[in-house]
Amino acid sequence: MVSTTAGSASSSSSSSSPNASNASNPSGAPAAAAPRRVVSPFNPANAVTASRFLTLPFLWWAVDRGYHQYATLFILICALFDKLDGFVARVFDCKSVFGEMFDAIADGVCFGFGLIVVAAYGWAPLVPVICIVGLGVINTVMRFVYVARAGRTVNYKSYAMERIVAFTAYQIGFATGGMEVRFFFWSFVPIMIAIVLHDAKRMLIDPIPPAGAKS
Amino acid sequence: MTLISDHAFRIFLSATTAGVGGLWIIHELVLIARLRGADRRDPQVRDQWFGYAVGILIGVIGIVGTLRFNGVL
Repeated sequence: MVSTTAGSASSSSSSSSPNASNASNPSGAPAAAAPRRVVSPFNPANAVTASRFLTLPFLWWAVDRGYHQYATLFILICALFDKLDGFVARVFDCKSVFGEMFDAIADGVCFGFGLIVVAAYGWAPLVPVICIVGLGVINTVMRFVYVARAGRTVNYKSYAMERIVAFTAYQIGFATGGMEVRFFFWSFVPIMIAIVLHDAKRMLIDPIPPAGAKS
Repeated sequence: MTLISDHAFRIFLSATTAGVGGLWIIHELVLIARLRGADRRDPQVRDQWFGYAVGILIGVIGIVGTLRFNGVL
């Protein structure tokens, strides 16, 4: 399985040589369809993303033993690796559609797991965690509906949801650190509801921009 | 089993949360400032405004939470 750079959703051009771009264009005119460089899914950025999963057993262990500081450390490492993979992808020039998807999946798995663990051990209030996870599932379903409405592979870029997902990592940190847990978790819920309602209108009701439009 | 003293851990949590919250607010204010003059009727621009406003709100919550944690509020 391969992915291509520059946000291409297709990997059908994988037969082209990476160095073939513009090689047979003596007129100097821009190539009509320059072949894109093939990026293997086994690249440094995806390795960093995958390594985030390694923190989860240690997080569980620390919460199970009641080691608040270690649990905070492991969720901090997981969140830092989330930032690091994008940086590595830029440095090694290995951005790919697969990498973006893998990163989103890793976010969902790691932060979802973290929320459930801290709630299961009574480190976070259960009701807000259920609301947060439930709203996350609703948002995911709406994204599938959006793709079905568009009839093509398309991602709805939600600036607000990006921010609330980043804040989710902090929520787990507040729970492991025992820092104003009830305040932070309960203040999170109305913001998440507002964002899901906003995004629901954009994804389910508003017209979908045509393919190629800035999203 | 601890890595640092409870007091140092408390300071670390407070500094990290308030620091990130403050930087987050400044970052979002800069992004909103860049949107000045943009067409507010454009759904894309409205999405950006909404997202940046949420970012500011999260930053404020972080700072308020830190103040509560330290007994200021």
